[in-house]
Amino acid sequence: MPKSPRPRARFSFSPTVRALLLAAATCGAVLPALAAIEHEEVDKLMQAGKLDEAMVKAEAFLKDKPRDPQMRFLKGVIQLDTGKRNEAIAAFTQLTLDAPELPEPYNNLAVIYASQNQFDKARAALESAIRTNPSYATAQENLGDVYARLASQAYSKALQLDQNNTAVQPKLAVIRTLFTPTPPGAKPTALIAAAPPPAPAPVAKAAPAPAPAPAAPPPPVKVAAAPAPVAAAPKAPEAAPAPAPAPAPAAANTAANAEVESAVRAWASAWASQDMDRYLAAYGSEFTPAGGQSRKNWEEDRRARIVGKSSISVNIENLAIKVDGQNATAKFRQIYRADNLNVSSRKTLEMQRSGNQWHIRKESVGG
Amino acid sequence: MAHSQGKRRRLVADIVRQGRLQNPPFRLRGGQQLLAALTTASVLMLAVPGAALASTAAGKASKTSSSAHKEKARAKGPAANARSTARAGAAGRSSPVKEAKEARGGRSRKAGTTVAATAATSATAATAARATRKPAPAGTIQEASNAEARLIAVYEMFGRGQSRPALAKARDLVRDYPNFQLAQLVYGDLLAAQLPPSNALPDSASIAKMRGNPAMAELHEESKRRLQALRERPPANTVPSQFLALSTRSRYAIAVDASRSRLYLFENSDKGLKLTADYYISVGKSGTDKVTEGDARTPLGVYYITSSLDPKSLKDFYGAGALPINYPNPYDVRRGKTGGGIWLHGTPPQQFARAPLASDGCVVMANPDLKQLLRKVQIGATPVVTARSLQWISQPQAEKEAQSITSAITGWKDARASGNEAQLKKFYLPDFQRSSKKSNEGISVVDDEVKYAQGKRVQLKDMSYLHWRDGDDTMVVTFGEVFEGEKSGRSRRQYWLRQGTDWKLFHEEILG
Repeated sequence: MPKSPRPRARFSFSPTVRALLLAAATCGAVLPALAAIEHEEVDKLMQAGKLDEAMVKAEAFLKDKPRDPQMRFLKGVIQLDTGKRNEAIAAFTQLTLDAPELPEPYNNLAVIYASQNQFDKARAALESAIRTNPSYATAQENLGDVYARLASQAYSKALQLDQNNTAVQPKLAVIRTLFTPTPPGAKPTALIAAAPPPAPAPVAKAAPAPAPAPAAPPPPVKVAAAPAPVAAAPKAPEAAPAPAPAPAPAAANTAANAEVESAVRAWASAWASQDMDRYLAAYGSEFTPAGGQSRKNWEEDRRARIVGKSSISVNIENLAIKVDGQNATAKFRQIYRADNLNVSSRKTLEMQRSGNQWHIRKESVGG
Repeated sequence: MAHSQGKRRRLVADIVRQGRLQNPPFRLRGGQQLLAALTTASVLMLAVPGAALASTAAGKASKTSSSAHKEKARAKGPAANARSTARAGAAGRSSPVKEAKEARGGRSRKAGTTVAATAATSATAATAARATRKPAPAGTIQEASNAEARLIAVYEMFGRGQSRPALAKARDLVRDYPNFQLAQLVYGDLLAAQLPPSNALPDSASIAKMRGNPAMAELHEESKRRLQALRERPPANTVPSQFLALSTRSRYAIAVDASRSRLYLFENSDKGLKLTADYYISVGKSGTDKVTEGDARTPLGVYYITSSLDPKSLKDFYGAGALPINYPNPYDVRRGKTGGGIWLHGTPPQQFARAPLASDGCVVMANPDLKQLLRKVQIGATPVVTARSLQWISQPQAEKEAQSITSAITGWKDARASGNEAQLKKFYLPDFQRSSKKSNEGISVVDDEVKYAQGKRVQLKDMSYLHWRDGDDTMVVTFGEVFEGEKSGRSRRQYWLRQGTDWKLFHEEILG
């Protein structure tokens, strides 16, 4: 795997946990039933960088529903984004008291503590996050960073080295929105990952259901998957490209759907980890670049755009797959972040099966 | 107090015993090569019984990594130190240039010449882990400093596979003792053990770099020696072979085993010597067997505490206090050994403990440990044996070994009482010297003794025999004299040297 300057920690999860992760990551495709509109609006404003507007909307909403955890959480994130650390700490701390089951406020508290060099406090917060939800990938990764920093600090003290010369501050990933599980009975909008959510959040009461564990996939790689219904996480949470057995209505297509989804996620993962070999291999021989570019020129172009970035994250949301024999269409929202760029767009991948592999035949924006 | 100490001792004993029984010490689950790789590079590997017994490479390496680096201690320079030692000088034999000023040439643990040391440690440790362990001698008594006992508990937990609780305990330990470098290392290792097998974390590079730091070898050696001293306990009902007899006037006795970096504290009563505590210590950075001034070695021999220096009069570098010993003693002087200012002292604020080989010849203890000692020692009466490696003998064995010197003393006493100068003279070597508060120049010792005794019957009491054997066989004998019809007499410390089968006096101190 090519080096990435902002690489992520990998934790070996059991297949069960992996399945849960996948479920947690993908069920975000389902929008929460309650108050989703306002939450999404605020989140959109935040993504657009309109933080003041987002704050106004959030506060207006909270006037009516002062206890709403999701909006209080979003408000905390806005405060964090606008540098109001103490207010953000207060907001997230209060959330941990009111809803101690939620891992996200703990995670974001940890992010703030870490940015203040309070790594032991960050550790305690992250351990709380993981206690409430052991499969919480972002918190796991952040905890890895924090442990690494604490280890580094301990070694410095063991050797009595000057600690001021330690390397760059680890930058922990902020969770942008509360994970909201699918309310029972809600109609899935996509045919993917039908494993029920592990119900980590008490916001909506979802029956906790253990996800069926698929065979362990190869070592987990960086896969973009959104934990959130709408928002883009700046850091891709852990999710293995596991073909999740999906007890979906379209039973006949389930296996194919899973294959296609796996291929899409592998493509995103290769992109995010700047693994050009795997990325280009996701495109089949029939693939025709848009704009009449030759395949060779297109490959060079892609390489130049991908390898040069210091870090890339590709999140996939609202993935919808339609399989028709040897062909399939995958439509989704692609949240692409690289360095300071943050682009969210609709994307359609037309896929074609060759053997038991699915390859990209056409890639188009919109749809 | 006594009860709670005993309880703690049992507790530590249990921990260590469990550690011995447990086999294999590390249960590596399938595929956890990460942990395997980590532990070979980690000080925790040394927690495995057997590993500690085997790895000598690190010890050798750390010896070579000396000098070059200045001690960070805020030394005010030799002048400041000379003042403090001058104060001590009244009580002890102070030579003009004191070696206690380790600050001058000492070094912190940043020594930087043993590139191979860490690798050697890991390799040896790995080999040792595979080898079967030697059964450790059954030991019951343990008294470690609180911090050390807690550190050992962390090792034991990790050895039992309880890495999470071990991590929590290690965190508490470094919170309470942030300057305990070995504890920091263990904490770092335990944290690193939680990390995923990736080089990708922002701190991975610095972690890897620090793991490769040559100074790590010293911490590994410290770890090894602490564990070894706790695993291999002195056999029950034995004493160091130097203590053939000790008067109850000495309420405590101290013995240092340099090979284990350990100081043993004994309580002395009419029932004999009883080991009450033992502590990790550091010795000279060039090891032991001091010969010349500035050789950065700790002297080997039998000594007495000569004073206790007020920590307020000392630099921070010496920590909670200092107990000078009478190096060079008359036997050392006789053999032309030089130097001085050998102290038992504490550690600077930034270090809970120092490397096994760290000082310029002093014996260095953690401040909490030294404070225990400060409460107990008696100036002039607490013996300090410093040995390369202590031999432990039983009480009957000690009595047996004291027989020849006992009869020599009796012969000396009888010759004096009979006024037979020729006979008495046989007990003295030609170069015999006496040091006393009163000037005795020009007076023949034999003359003086005969006059002094005047044929009166005399009782010798409070006999102490400290035996020291290296190339020669020497005995330091301390006793008091009471003449018939009198209440008190001289108190003496005599230095005897064996020549063939005869013991001869070569030095005497009149203590009062």
